[in-house]
Amino acid sequence: MFTALLKKDLLIELRSKEIVISMASFGVSVILLYSFSFNESPKTFSIFASGLLWMVFLFISVLGLHRSFSLEKEFDAIGLVLSAPVNRSLIFLSKWVSGFLFLLMAQIIIVPLFWLFLALDIPSQIGLWLLVFIMADLGIAAVGSLVAGITLRARMSEVLLPILLFPLVSPLLIAAVKSTDALMVGLPFEEWKVWGAIIFTFVIAFSVTGVLIFDYVSEE
Amino acid sequence: MNSFNSKRIPNIMAVIIIIMLGAGLKIVVDYSLTVDKEAGYLWAQKIFYYHVPSAWTAFLGYFIVMIAGVQFLRTGNRKWDQIGVASAEFGTFFCLLVLITGPIWGQAAWGQPWTWEPRLLTTLILFLLYIGYFMLRQFGGHYERVARNSAVLGIIAFLDVPIVYLSLKFWSADTQAHPQLGMSEQSSLVLNVFFFNLATFTLLFIYMVWYRIHILKLKQKQLELTHGL
Repeated sequence: MFTALLKKDLLIELRSKEIVISMASFGVSVILLYSFSFNESPKTFSIFASGLLWMVFLFISVLGLHRSFSLEKEFDAIGLVLSAPVNRSLIFLSKWVSGFLFLLMAQIIIVPLFWLFLALDIPSQIGLWLLVFIMADLGIAAVGSLVAGITLRARMSEVLLPILLFPLVSPLLIAAVKSTDALMVGLPFEEWKVWGAIIFTFVIAFSVTGVLIFDYVSEE
Repeated sequence: MNSFNSKRIPNIMAVIIIIMLGAGLKIVVDYSLTVDKEAGYLWAQKIFYYHVPSAWTAFLGYFIVMIAGVQFLRTGNRKWDQIGVASAEFGTFFCLLVLITGPIWGQAAWGQPWTWEPRLLTTLILFLLYIGYFMLRQFGGHYERVARNSAVLGIIAFLDVPIVYLSLKFWSADTQAHPQLGMSEQSSLVLNVFFFNLATFTLLFIYMVWYRIHILKLKQKQLELTHGL
């Protein structure tokens, strides 16, 4: 059942491509604005590059999450899914994974352009770097799907989503920025393992909470 | 339903709280020792007798929101939703007091009102989250859904607190430390005054929440009467 739900999200996206395209193009235009507004040498810029990068990811994840959940509102699709004999936790899991995949796909487009436009150095520990991205994306998608589920049927859901998401996600953002920073300077893992631990804790805490609690969020 | 003020216990409680608040103010202003006699911010130090109890009450409020959230999801009893809202409202009120008194002390002690100190920042993040909580309640749709979703939000918000606090602690390891004297190092007068104010604030909080729940019940009753539910 989980694969069916996930396949549904991915198929819709594959046919319309609206979520990933809008996330990526919004992200790229923000980067363009960055390079206009901070006309600095790459060396200066690299000091706050990772912070700016994760800000972009937060913004585009709000875009993507909102779109992905408001698709469910059209023709009351979520009502039909809920009336099917499906375990609601699976709905959360499918939204979590699809949200994660959309974010990752958008990042695949955005990150190389970010490095190219701003002429940054390529970090040496690519493997660890990818791991940080994947884990932090999982965290954003987990808490994002939960909050998007809560605000789905509220009026002004597009405003409520970022208002609730940003404070909740702040520890994850700090940890992701700090570890990306450390990797860009080339610090060994020992030096920033506490940030890795915070990202890991965040992902575990919110995915487990999401699975346990989504039943109540989606109840009619 | 009787008027809140016609009951005996709330009236006695209100009188006790007013006396305690007055006495507390008198003690703090006139008699309390300050923590650090050498430093120049002797007087500003006294705000801690209000700052810390406010923080304690705010976190108590948010803790009750979480418990009420769990209970509401488990039982579906409206009573728990009312307890949750009332605690959230006054938790946020005391949160605001923390955010006001903190910078007043900061100005005197550090020469700048705002520093990126983990505890102050955690309070700010919680405050922002609860602004979202009230917006959700305002715009959430029909009652059942609002009650359920805000219960869920109350639970996640409180779960987030330890992670927020830990990450901020590591993040701002180099900013000025929060004054942190061990309980045992304090003189007994400081502790007595502090615990007296803590008790006052906790009582005040209980009284306010109680009153608010009473109003919420009346509102619900009025709704039931007008719509014939």
